[in-house]
Amino acid sequence: MAALDSQTYTFTDKGRFGVIALGTGIVFTALTVVGAFTDSHMFFASWLTSFAFWTTIVLGALFFVMLQHVTAAVWSVVTRRAAEALALALPVLLLCFIPLTFGMHDLFHWSHAEEVAADHVLAWKAPYLNTTFFIVRGLVFFAVWIALAFVLHRRSVAQDTDGDVAHTYALRKISAGGIFAFAFTVTFAAFDWLMSLNPHWYSTIFGVYVFVGGFLTCMAVLLLIFQMLRRQGMLEGVVTIEHFHDFGRLLFAFTVFWAYIGGSQYYLIWYANVPEETVWFLARWDNGWKAVSMALIFLHFLVPFLTLLFYRVKRNTVLLRTIASLLVVMHFVDMFWLVMPTFGPGVHFSWMHLTSALGIGGLVMWMFWTRYTAHRAVPASDPKLADSIAHRV
Amino acid sequence: MRTVTDKHRQDSWNIEGGGALAVDPHDLREPLVEGTPKPADVTETVSRVVESKPTRLWYATVTVTGALAGWGILTILYTVFTGIGVWGNNQPVGWAWDITNFVFWIGIGHAGTLISAILFLFRQKWRTAINRAAEAMTIFAVICALIFPIIHTGRPWVAVYWLLPLPNQMEMWVNFRSPLLWDVFAVSTYFAVSAMFWFVGLVPDFATLRNRAKNKIARIAFTFFSMGWTGANRHWHRYEKAYLILAGISTPLVLSVHTIVSFDFAVSVIPGWHTTIFPPYFVAGAIFSGFGMVLTLMILARKLLNLEQFITVKHIENMSKVLMATGLMVGYAYGIEFFIAWYSGNPYERFVFINRAFGPYSWAYWTMVSCNVFIPQLFWFRGIRRNLLITWIISIFVNIGMWFERFVIIVTSLHRDFLPSSWGMFTPTWVDVSIFAGTVGLFLTLFLVFAKYLPVLAISEVKGILPGAQPKHGHH
Repeated sequence: MAALDSQTYTFTDKGRFGVIALGTGIVFTALTVVGAFTDSHMFFASWLTSFAFWTTIVLGALFFVMLQHVTAAVWSVVTRRAAEALALALPVLLLCFIPLTFGMHDLFHWSHAEEVAADHVLAWKAPYLNTTFFIVRGLVFFAVWIALAFVLHRRSVAQDTDGDVAHTYALRKISAGGIFAFAFTVTFAAFDWLMSLNPHWYSTIFGVYVFVGGFLTCMAVLLLIFQMLRRQGMLEGVVTIEHFHDFGRLLFAFTVFWAYIGGSQYYLIWYANVPEETVWFLARWDNGWKAVSMALIFLHFLVPFLTLLFYRVKRNTVLLRTIASLLVVMHFVDMFWLVMPTFGPGVHFSWMHLTSALGIGGLVMWMFWTRYTAHRAVPASDPKLADSIAHRV
Repeated sequence: MRTVTDKHRQDSWNIEGGGALAVDPHDLREPLVEGTPKPADVTETVSRVVESKPTRLWYATVTVTGALAGWGILTILYTVFTGIGVWGNNQPVGWAWDITNFVFWIGIGHAGTLISAILFLFRQKWRTAINRAAEAMTIFAVICALIFPIIHTGRPWVAVYWLLPLPNQMEMWVNFRSPLLWDVFAVSTYFAVSAMFWFVGLVPDFATLRNRAKNKIARIAFTFFSMGWTGANRHWHRYEKAYLILAGISTPLVLSVHTIVSFDFAVSVIPGWHTTIFPPYFVAGAIFSGFGMVLTLMILARKLLNLEQFITVKHIENMSKVLMATGLMVGYAYGIEFFIAWYSGNPYERFVFINRAFGPYSWAYWTMVSCNVFIPQLFWFRGIRRNLLITWIISIFVNIGMWFERFVIIVTSLHRDFLPSSWGMFTPTWVDVSIFAGTVGLFLTLFLVFAKYLPVLAISEVKGILPGAQPKHGHH
């Protein structure tokens, strides 16, 4: 059981969470790698699904930190350190990106020179969709995100010791520019890693769709992390029901926003009925995919929407935990729904989906826990901390 | 640690545990009002505007804007009696200034409800000083917007059958599959809810004015509209509840109206119109243009009505930040649309965007990009965000840029049809220009009448953000 000094917010005992996460990460990653030798095609497809799942969540944390700085948010100061630490899991995801580069031919139709030569649309796109540029772009995206995550964390931690309010102002400026860089890198990452799986298909809102799902799920993950800490007796009176209520409001708002973006994307394509666009949704309807699409509508939107609408639900930790867990699962289904229809008809859920999600997730959580417990659990000298704890917003 | 004795709070509010009020030395929250006005000062400042005689400047301005509105009405009558052939619309540009102006005004009408509903839910207390005027602006802008689709029907007196699903002996029905019909529903709902929200907020202030009224007509009017408000605890309790519920209802409306407006274009298969980013891009643009207009009007109003104490530079700066954020969202949409036009590999998509930037309407395109994306980048500098003159000038550019955005989307996408034999150009006629100028006149006239005869600040809400009005716990 981990423990926290309630005065200084430093961890006196880091507990076993990190070890369990690391163990889970190593064991399940190893198992998934074994799968690579039995069915390399499925290995890469499921690795991409889990990679997209965790990367979008961790990017959600990076965005959450920057959003707080830019808006000078008060309520969320107590939650910021955890989000900063979660964003520091990006280097793990950079490592997880490397296996994908070995599976280009398995994953991306456009990476086959003979296919491109036979298809004038792919030939047109070749200056953008080619393996070298794809990898270079991936590295640039990670470089931008990792640099932002490190700067935001380092300044924040520095303020713990020196208490200098100048950090607050500097972080606000960094975040303003950071969000600008973030918007474009995340969009193009979504285009590259997910949209280009169907290289003929395009949708201008796709980047926003992927980002919103990740941000929503990050709120759910942070909510679950704080409930875990609270159950272990940490941050008592610091992260209170008021903060969980606010997380509940954000879950509500962003599940609606996710549905708005996903719904209008679907709707405009359905209404215009242009074959080159509808083909993407047809592949997510026929051959058993209808059930998955419906599950997204009901469990990713309607159920959270109709429950979180109520005040009492947002202040009930058990219900909040249940809905947050549902949203995490549904984000995985969403990524599965984006990735898998490319790989042949029918819904093919492999054991490797599970192991890769747990493997990458274990490593992400280990990195998060290591970074989180290395410093104070909340930004101890943030000028807005007292207001945040008392929820004077 | 700086500690102040909040004498005023003890005196007039009698909150339990009054006395030394701790002020955080690093309090990053700038005060929302300047100085330490008493609640009575707020009432006095705002009511004085309503109770005093209009100034000569007011009469002069209203004469000019009213004349402009009158000219607009005359040209509308001319259009109706002659036919919409007097506009520049043609084949292939079947939609032009009419719908450009419609979307422009609807967009302006977004700031009010965003400020009163979404910023309320986001607990942004600075909204209290500007929400009343912004909501009024919303209502006037929607009125201006509604003129265009109605007169574009050509025969407005029978438009009721075309716009509303009324059972009738002609068995003439509206087209439920058309987003233009959803516009009717979306905009009328938005108008109704915005007007109700505005009115509910006004009730306590009407009561204040009623209690102060010396003139008989004013007293009867304010008594009627204050609906028996006494300021009783129960009244306030219900008022707060109603306000929260209306905020909850209005929030999806802020998104839905411009989403439906974007559907007018995006459900088609016209390159440049049919793109999935349209709904949120239109919403961001609407908020951008709405805040542009709020800044344009409020920077002037705070000066002319002596409200600098309540609408502070802090408010202007916050609005500038919203303007920059939404301007960047719009810029993001421009960029992504351009990239996807190339990435799609679709020659028609590509042509539309290259044509926009380098074709015959490139001047309009670059006006749009400059006003909406380049110029607002000046707001990265704090000095500029807090410079009222520069901010005011930038807000004018935003108004211009957002008009051009709609013009570019509508006209450039239509003027080059799929077949080069169907290509054309659009030139506005003097009637197009006159009707648009007329709606500008109407909008300004309505706003001036509002600013003179109704409380431009939400008196009761501003009292709630005066220093000391909020009970603070946890003394240091």
